[in-house]
Amino acid sequence: MTASENGRVLVRCDGVARTFGSGFGAVVAVHDITCEILAAQQVAITGPSGSGKSTLLHLLAGLDEPTAGSVSWPALGDRDALRPGPVGVVFQGPSLLPPLDVLENVALPLLLGGTSEAAATAAAAAALDRLHLSALATKLPEELSGGQAQRVAVARVLAGRPRLILADEPTGQLDHAAGALIVDALIRSATDLGAALVLTTHDPLVAARLNSGWVMADGGFVTPRDPRERGLTCSA
Amino acid sequence: MLSLTWLRGLTARRRGRLAAAACGVAIAVALLASIGSFLSASKATMTARAAADVAVDWQVQAQPGADPTIVLDTVKAAPGVTAAAPVGFAATSGLQATTGGSTQSTGPGVVLGLPDGYRNTFPEELRDLAGAGTGVLLAQQTAANLHASPGDTITVGRAGLSAVAVHVDGDVDLPQADSLFQAVGAPVGAQPQAPPDNVVLLPAAQWHALFDPLAQNRPELAHTQIHARLAHHLPADPSAAYSQVSGQARNLEVKLAGAGTVGDNLAATLGAARADALYAQILFLFLGLPGAVLAGLLTAAVAGAGVDRRRKEQALLRARGATGSQLTRLGGIEAAAVGAIGATVGLAAALALGKAMFGTFGFGATTVAAAGWAAGSAAVGFLIAAATIAVPAWRDARGVTVIAGRRSVGRAGPPRWASYGLDLLLLGAGALIFWLTGRGGYKLVLAPEGVPTISVSYWAFAGPALLWTGAGLFAWRIADLILGRGRPIMRRVLRPVAGPLAGTVASSMSRQRRILANALVLVALTTAFAASTAVFNATYRQQADIDARLTNGADVTVTQSPGTNVGAAGGAVLAKVPGVRSVEPIQHRFAYVGADLQDLYGVRADTIVGATKLQDAYFQGGTARQLIATLASRPDSILVSAETVKDFQLHPGDQVTLRLQDGRTKQFTDVAFHYAGIAKEFPTAPRDSFLVANADYLTKMTGSDAVGAFLLDTGGSSPAAVAGRVRSVVGAQAQVTDLTTSRRVVGSSLTAVDLAGLTRLELGFALVLAAASTGLVLALGIAERRRTFAIASALGAKARQLGGFVWAEALFITGGGLAAGALGGWVLSHMLVKVLTGVFDPPPAALAVPWAYLAAVGGTAIAAVSIAALGAIRATQRPATALVRDP
Ligand SMILES: Nc1ncnc2c1ncn2[C@@H]1O[C@H](COP(=O)(O)OP(=O)(O)OP(=O)(O)O)[C@@H](O)[C@H]1O
Ligand SMILES: [Mg+2]
Repeated sequence: MTASENGRVLVRCDGVARTFGSGFGAVVAVHDITCEILAAQQVAITGPSGSGKSTLLHLLAGLDEPTAGSVSWPALGDRDALRPGPVGVVFQGPSLLPPLDVLENVALPLLLGGTSEAAATAAAAAALDRLHLSALATKLPEELSGGQAQRVAVARVLAGRPRLILADEPTGQLDHAAGALIVDALIRSATDLGAALVLTTHDPLVAARLNSGWVMADGGFVTPRDPRERGLTCSA
Repeated sequence: MLSLTWLRGLTARRRGRLAAAACGVAIAVALLASIGSFLSASKATMTARAAADVAVDWQVQAQPGADPTIVLDTVKAAPGVTAAAPVGFAATSGLQATTGGSTQSTGPGVVLGLPDGYRNTFPEELRDLAGAGTGVLLAQQTAANLHASPGDTITVGRAGLSAVAVHVDGDVDLPQADSLFQAVGAPVGAQPQAPPDNVVLLPAAQWHALFDPLAQNRPELAHTQIHARLAHHLPADPSAAYSQVSGQARNLEVKLAGAGTVGDNLAATLGAARADALYAQILFLFLGLPGAVLAGLLTAAVAGAGVDRRRKEQALLRARGATGSQLTRLGGIEAAAVGAIGATVGLAAALALGKAMFGTFGFGATTVAAAGWAAGSAAVGFLIAAATIAVPAWRDARGVTVIAGRRSVGRAGPPRWASYGLDLLLLGAGALIFWLTGRGGYKLVLAPEGVPTISVSYWAFAGPALLWTGAGLFAWRIADLILGRGRPIMRRVLRPVAGPLAGTVASSMSRQRRILANALVLVALTTAFAASTAVFNATYRQQADIDARLTNGADVTVTQSPGTNVGAAGGAVLAKVPGVRSVEPIQHRFAYVGADLQDLYGVRADTIVGATKLQDAYFQGGTARQLIATLASRPDSILVSAETVKDFQLHPGDQVTLRLQDGRTKQFTDVAFHYAGIAKEFPTAPRDSFLVANADYLTKMTGSDAVGAFLLDTGGSSPAAVAGRVRSVVGAQAQVTDLTTSRRVVGSSLTAVDLAGLTRLELGFALVLAAASTGLVLALGIAERRRTFAIASALGAKARQLGGFVWAEALFITGGGLAAGALGGWVLSHMLVKVLTGVFDPPPAALAVPWAYLAAVGGTAIAAVSIAALGAIRATQRPATALVRDP
């Protein structure tokens, strides 16, 4: 593998497994996962509930550690440097901090990353504007609908201008129209930023909008990840 | 079986929450039960001590014309009487003695006739000083007046009859002269009669031989009293004991049908103990009740920390079809479980405490009291659980919609009490009541003499109670204001703690200002409680110490026996005793002020202030230093009692002429003094009127430098040990007393019972409450917001940044709470000491502040908060994906 190729690999999983608990009650959430995510790649992960999508996403985000194998981020740096910074995560459940208003929620990762207050607020306002959420800026999370909250969570990721966006069922709680709006925003933003996008979903229509799709079942990929497909995806 | 499933779920998944709430309940129960057991134990001690202090329980005076033997038989037959003896009282027109070539005579006096065995039956009435304990005995003062010693002969004058000579066998002291010579049957409220200056005690046969003729001629000059001892099977409570004894006395008077009147010494002493017991009860209310209230608030805070979670659970259950009454029942079950666990643990803790502190397992002196206290405390525990868990659950089940139940932070407006200004009203009302009760002199216990019931002015409680409550609410208002309007200031203040996140932290705190203000108020109230209790107790101890010092005079006091003549130079021997740092001689004489015989103290004006730690509070008309300086600059100055000033209408500079005994001629002569100020208290001086003058002047005017007592400063060495050494030096010629011993003996039964137990209990509980109200509340609050912290961590917040959030809250709650509590405690301490003035003897000039304990309270709070904060930061450090995924 050449250096330039390595420079384009954002995440590399090598025989990764994650088991929860031990002994008799142990749950193998994912196992035997080997994959790479390249810069600007867009992947939809589908699979039945409990197949390990969220677990894999958390491993890719460096939120969780594998129990076997290894995860590395050749182009992004150490696990400690991923968040806040090059990796942005949209969580499956509600993830806004209840005591902060929308603007403050969006600005938070930037502030955590050391951005000055003024710059962070400006970037947050711009991200909200891009998703047409400016009107909600002073609302508290409890005053938002589920869909609004999810869009704010997306805005929070975009404000940080990440190189890898990991979105865990961002449309899970939404109707088709609202879901489409979010997926649009994610795809557009990822393209604008030149960022890679990995998105899990149960919705085949959503999956179809991304240029590659991985299918999971029982903690593993259904189709072996063919290295050649990578090139295919990239060229697309 | 929703309820059982729920309970199982609670114990499995919300064990921490249940345990914490039960902990709050247990603190309240333990506090009440152990203070209750202290109270009932101390009441029992008061009764026992009061009964033991009385030399003669009843003095039944036979009325003129009544047959003393019939009265004696009636008394003996009265229920409860275990022993009775007739005592003759006769007036003598005067006594005379010729000793050593000079003749001394006294004015009128009393001659008692004591039957055989009297001293065995009533051992406390007489104390031997010199000579044989039987035969003809002279009271100490009489012996001094007559210069008579055992072996001398004195003549006893009889009105209208010839004087008779008797041979003196011994000298005695009559420690309970006041009650012995009381006017039996005097109307209620009459001035107590001063005991006679001269007393001779004769064997009954001799008395009858001398005074039966007098009784025949002048029946008003001789009478018989029946002295009786009762079985002391008294109720433990002084009040009940008082009622029982005075009931028995009334019963006897009815049986006597006018033949005799009962002087009820036992009931009189129990009456005083009854007032003291009531004071103990008031102390319990003043100091113990706030503790229980705090424990209740703590439970509420703990339960409140789980309120979001509970509402969410309720909303979920509702969404699944549970009805309001089912939800209420679930709240009730949780409350009952918390109440039961809390009460059990609390009672067990109180039992263990009682065992450790009073040496008994049990909550009271009697079974009834024990059952009452245990049941009462447990009931309060259940009440707290119901009020803090069941009631909110019931309110939520009725009022909160499914949607609203999901809310955790709100934009709620000010609470209703705040918009009505309830806090300010309470503060104003507290101050007003304090002022009103102050005008009446803070008379908390109203015990009109002779009236069987005794009442408490509960108004006086209202002042501090309203102030405490009002101050708590006011602190809430201020905290709310700072977090709300003061957000920009908060942001600036937080910058050092939170860096660039200061604004975010300030916003976050601002939106949670209700919870934070609640926590701050809890810390403030706890601190105020701990501080005021500690200051009150320390001040009490300080005053008890001053009292003991006043009574004893110094660390060690060497009192010369009457009749000995040791000059100031005699102190040189004492100064050589190891452990003695300085020796201060004090002259003690008797002087006639008009017809009134008073104690007169001659002091060395240049050393007395430093040597005896004279307090300004002892004097009136100047500070201790100023007045003693006047004695030095104008040696014929004199300090007198306020009563004397009133009686003689004295103005500063007025001449006061006293009759003093001349050391050379032993005759009383006039000596002129000038009134300079009022002495209310003085070391070794009695509680009633006395005089203080310049020793040099006294020496010059009376030709005698005889010292009454040497006051020894031990400079920190153990007074008891030094007293022992001094005793071996001076031998039997002088009486040596020390501060440590007299501290134990001094004062009323309340002082005797000592607040030490109560103090230790309350201060211990205050520490526990301080730790719980800071650490526990903070930890629970953060635990409830675990998910928020987990998300922040998942977003990339580092430990230091999460710490910013945690420390900012911790700092606000603890710093603000301690500051507000210190201020409140300061005000409350002053108020408490004022309101409870009657407990102090003498009244304090200044509060004693136990800095070490207060530092311990602050330290405990800070340590608890630090542990909680560090634990919380550690727990939130790793992004808990399980929390992030679980909404
Ligand atoms: N913290 C955990 N502890 C124990 N088991 C877990 C944990 N997290 C996930 N699992 C288990 O791992 C498996 C995979 O879960 P995961 O959340 O990754 O599935 P998913 O594909 O995202 O499902 P869904 O589509 O419902 O979101 C499941 O069986 C789940 O129960
Ligand atoms: Mg999932």
